[in-house]
Amino acid sequence: MAKFDLTFKLGQYLDRHLVFPLLEFLSAKQIYNENELLQAKLDILSKTNMIDYAIDIRKQLMPGEEDPEELKSRRIQVVNQLQELQKEVSHIATLMNDEVVMKKIETMRDSKALLTFLHDEYDFNIEMMESMYKLAKYRYECGNYSNATGFLYFYINVMPAGDKASSNYINVLWGKLASEILVQNWDTALDDLNKLREFIDSNQFPSSLHVLQQRTWLIHWSLFVFFNHTKGRDLIIEMFLYRPHYLNAIQTMCPHILRYLATAVIINRTRRTALKDLVKVIQQESYTYRDPITEFIEHLYVNFDFDGARQKLHECQTVLFNDFFLIACLEEFVENARLMIFETFCRIHQCISIGMLAEKLNMTPEEAECWIVHLIRNARLDAKIDSKLGHVVMGTQPVSPYQQLVEKIDSLSVRSEALQSLIDRKLKTRAQDAGGIQW
Amino acid sequence: MSRFFATGSDSDSDSSSEEEQIIRQPTATFTFSDEEEDTKRVVRSAKEKRYEEITNLIKQIRNYKKIKDMSSLLSSFEDLMRAYTKALPVITKEENGVTPRFYLRCLVEVEDFVNEVWEDREGRKNMSKNNSKSLTSLRQKMRKYNKDFEEEITKFRANPDQADEEEEEEKDQDDDSSDDEDSHPVVTKKPSVEPVPEPKKKAAAADDDDDGSSDSYWGSDSESSSDSSEDESQYTSVRERFLKKTTDKDDDEKKEKKDRKEDRKKSKPKRKEEDSDGEGEWETVKGGVAIPSEKPKMFAKDAEINIDLVVKKLNEIVAARGKKRTDRREQIELLHELLIVSEQHNLGSAVAIKIKFAIVSSIFDYNPKVSDAMKPEYWAKLLEQIIDMMDRLISAKNVIINESILEDNENYESPPYQLRGCVLTVMERLDEEFTKLLKECDPHSNEYVERLKDEKRVSNIIDKVQEYLERQTDIDAELCRIYMRKIEHLYYKFDPQVLQQKQGLLPADIVTSVQVMDKLCKFIYDKDQTDRLRTRAILSHVYHHALHDNWFQARDLILMSHLQENIQHSDPPTQILYNRTMAHLGLCAFRHANIKDAHNCLVDLMMTGKMKELLAQGLLPTRQNDRTKEQEKVEKQRQMPFHMHINLELLECVYMVSAMLIEIPYMAEHEFDARRRMISKTFYQQLRSSERQSLLGPPESMREHVVAASKAMRNGNWLACRNFIINEKMNAKVWDLFYQADEVRTMLTKLIREEALRTYLFTYSHVYDSISMATLATTFELEPSVVHSIISKMIINEELMASLDDPTHTVVMHRSEPSRLQSLALQLTDKVNSLVDYNERVFETKQGFFNRGGNQGRDFRDRQNYDRRGQDWGRQRRERGERAY
Repeated sequence: MAKFDLTFKLGQYLDRHLVFPLLEFLSAKQIYNENELLQAKLDILSKTNMIDYAIDIRKQLMPGEEDPEELKSRRIQVVNQLQELQKEVSHIATLMNDEVVMKKIETMRDSKALLTFLHDEYDFNIEMMESMYKLAKYRYECGNYSNATGFLYFYINVMPAGDKASSNYINVLWGKLASEILVQNWDTALDDLNKLREFIDSNQFPSSLHVLQQRTWLIHWSLFVFFNHTKGRDLIIEMFLYRPHYLNAIQTMCPHILRYLATAVIINRTRRTALKDLVKVIQQESYTYRDPITEFIEHLYVNFDFDGARQKLHECQTVLFNDFFLIACLEEFVENARLMIFETFCRIHQCISIGMLAEKLNMTPEEAECWIVHLIRNARLDAKIDSKLGHVVMGTQPVSPYQQLVEKIDSLSVRSEALQSLIDRKLKTRAQDAGGIQW
Repeated sequence: MSRFFATGSDSDSDSSSEEEQIIRQPTATFTFSDEEEDTKRVVRSAKEKRYEEITNLIKQIRNYKKIKDMSSLLSSFEDLMRAYTKALPVITKEENGVTPRFYLRCLVEVEDFVNEVWEDREGRKNMSKNNSKSLTSLRQKMRKYNKDFEEEITKFRANPDQADEEEEEEKDQDDDSSDDEDSHPVVTKKPSVEPVPEPKKKAAAADDDDDGSSDSYWGSDSESSSDSSEDESQYTSVRERFLKKTTDKDDDEKKEKKDRKEDRKKSKPKRKEEDSDGEGEWETVKGGVAIPSEKPKMFAKDAEINIDLVVKKLNEIVAARGKKRTDRREQIELLHELLIVSEQHNLGSAVAIKIKFAIVSSIFDYNPKVSDAMKPEYWAKLLEQIIDMMDRLISAKNVIINESILEDNENYESPPYQLRGCVLTVMERLDEEFTKLLKECDPHSNEYVERLKDEKRVSNIIDKVQEYLERQTDIDAELCRIYMRKIEHLYYKFDPQVLQQKQGLLPADIVTSVQVMDKLCKFIYDKDQTDRLRTRAILSHVYHHALHDNWFQARDLILMSHLQENIQHSDPPTQILYNRTMAHLGLCAFRHANIKDAHNCLVDLMMTGKMKELLAQGLLPTRQNDRTKEQEKVEKQRQMPFHMHINLELLECVYMVSAMLIEIPYMAEHEFDARRRMISKTFYQQLRSSERQSLLGPPESMREHVVAASKAMRNGNWLACRNFIINEKMNAKVWDLFYQADEVRTMLTKLIREEALRTYLFTYSHVYDSISMATLATTFELEPSVVHSIISKMIINEELMASLDDPTHTVVMHRSEPSRLQSLALQLTDKVNSLVDYNERVFETKQGFFNRGGNQGRDFRDRQNYDRRGQDWGRQRRERGERAY
């Protein structure tokens, strides 16, 4: 199943720390060689300060071997540096522990006033922020995410808005998002995500390539949020499909994201209209990216090849099962996909044998019958079951010409009336004008 | 300024023969000879200078006489008087105070002439005021002046011819020796000529130098022979004319003098306007004798040839460039000689390259008209020179040529040498000349093929320039330009390797033209600052992709570039390139069975009916008042050379077939629809014009084939349709032009079947209650699954009022066909709807602009068309009217 695994592609656009959950997931699924995964983890860790974790993994990878001196010494070094940094920002740390100050910070909107306030009352100066930023980064590097979150939150609140152009601010935003994701604080993560998106969309970057890169990252990072947050399923469609910038980024940089978009659309029963747009995008990109999920949609909505769709649905299940983000919505996906097949089927057919339907839906005939009865009972399907022949007969009713006619002329009188009143008003004003001139 | 150039009166007159020789031996070598004492030279040259001045004036006077330009004659005569006064000391010294005979002759002639004109009262009356005034004053001056020479003139008149001799002899001697002396520091044409100066030197030493001197005169003789017929009356006999060269010479010199008075001051040693017309009756004489004297004078024989001197010389020569009277051919020769001189003295590669540069630019200059192509022989020379220059440049690693180096900062002495100049510009010019040359030829002749062979050499030069430029740093802009040139030689060429590689027949590591294009274009995308180059690079890139069936890459590139929105603001050549690109994009889409895209790409080209012009593949004969001469000239310059043309019939056929595949099912579907819109106007016209014909023969042309096929398709007769589209005739005409023609035909057959099926269903659904899908599949020879898929699509899109009956595998039609009354009512509602729409629009526009209400109906239609295209092509825009599934 490694064929459809996207971890490698996704990893290119993610932070080191964000890759860990993916790797953990993969090792649980045992698609890849365990040692390779461990080696990959170790490689990633080598650039972070999570020395303890690295040592653990080394032990797993090479049991019986001694920890290298280098790692040990680095550990000491890291700890020392951490302490040093902590000393530098101890003043702010005390501030942060002060409830009054924190409340003040949260309520004060104007950052300039806030700064002067802090400066006057608590002997605060802006240079401290720099070292605080460093500490937060360091904390994050060490895997101490929640701690980093606190610092970064403070930073975002305190730093003046004018300073937003500086590279630090955007880094802080990214850092905040990453930390929130890693501590699985989805609500705040969503807030941060929106903040970051606004920042990227509204700010000037040196080149359009730069913006594109930022957006691509954001798209990847947001996957964590969207597939974990309850509102995520609507938001993902909103952001990926209906924001042209992001759709463009997906099309040019990372068409593999289409898998997640497609899944999101399929499991979202209320957003059926999005399907049409999705189909178009998938068709456009079909030459650069295809996997069972996009192919499923293609089969079902472009070629109306139900057999193909059925097969793909089968493959989809394994793909979903092995995808870090999508595993949670496997059930929903299968259910909705079936429903989609069935709906399309019903729109085309007037009479279907239950046996064939069951086959197409990957069900036993009994299950299928039960399922259909369910649908009919919930008034979601206008049909009758002919159990003698084992058929489902649709209750189709072609639109009568009279109905068409009525539909067409329905709005005419209203429109004409509106037009007439407009003209009347116009004439009146003109008459007044003319009168005015005469007078 | 070298005095040696100033003295070359006789070499002047020889230049035509010299020219001759040069053409015969372009690779002349030059040697130096030295001999002759210095002292004598100084004296002689002083005399000669004066004499030359006088003779030139005399010549001018003769010319004016011929055209009876009195005012000019007067001024020349005054000049002559002045020149003579100046020359007087010399004459007194050299000729013992005797007035030279040629001068006397001139005086006599002028006097005669003036008298003659004066006598001719009739003619005088007709003269312009200015001229008659001049004539009067000339006559007075003449009389007064001639009094001084009265005695001599009478003597001369008594014996006009004979007396020339002694003087002539004397002059011969002068000329001869000066000739010799002039020639030493310079150069003989070729080794074989070398011995010739020998006898001449002897002759100079001896008193009897007739033989030696005559060499040089014969050259001049032959030259002036064209005029001589007019002067015939002046000479008593042919024999005399043959012997007495002075007159001829004078004549000749006068003529020449007129030609290049100004240049003389610039010390141009020789001059040639009259080209080869000098080959007259005297050619045989000349042919028999080697002409030793026509080497241009370059340096003093004792001068030490060093870099400074050569560069100075070079600048001198180059300074004359572009001046009106500069003989361009001669410049080239001079530069050649200079190059040889510098090479003989090992002045280093920098100087040589600099001179080469000058040679190249003077060859470019040789062609006076920008719009015309240069002569093939010069083209060959140019190629050679540039190749040579580039080779030198590349092998000499430490030479830097750059436009930003000022003349003053040039460094020839030591590495790194620095030169001012721009190889890139030279190369670009060369490329343009090449295109012009190609356009000049008849594309169906062998000549064209011959010329086209040079394409390789041009490309080689481009490669070399590229190689050279790539060695330098910080010149992204220039690299972009050279890459663009390369792209322009590459983008339209089909490389079969690409397709083979795609099929896996070739290993992936072979570099095909697509990879090369990729590399070049990406560099330009990255580095280009001008936007124009980038646009052109994108278009070429798309073109190349389309040519090699990389449909998706081509499509994405053109969509992402957003060129379609603003291409109309770019310059015409870029627009032409855009049109060409779209044409190929259309063909590519067609090969990929993307009929809609193919149609959309081509519709803009086809709709106007001016495809030929849009692609710059020929001018349409239009009404005369349509374009002025200049416009036509400009348009001609834009034309594509023939080998880059796109086959128009192929384009049209692809377009028509695409239109047929889209339009016929559409027509069938909307047979009773009042608001049916035309998808392809051109196609409609064809169809209608064939319907109007009372008698239809079997199809002959491509269009007739397509029309016949369309009619067959309307009835759902896919077999007949296919046979009309794909047959021997059509294969020969169009389909075989595709690289993978068979695949295209298979694709086409499949599409015809599918579309015919759709048409059939639309047309005949009302006579069926149900149709078996299996029967449909066999009738149209399609896979049952394909039939199923097509019908499903039609049902979903509500094109077909039917549903499938799964257990029996049939299509069950729903009787929703409205009755006649109902359908008429529906049409009426449609019309009423459009009326309301129209009213609303009128109201809206009336609010804004009162005067523009008239043509807004058209506006709207245009906008609709535009929208439709936009939807198909804009990625972001969604189609409103149609359903995707």
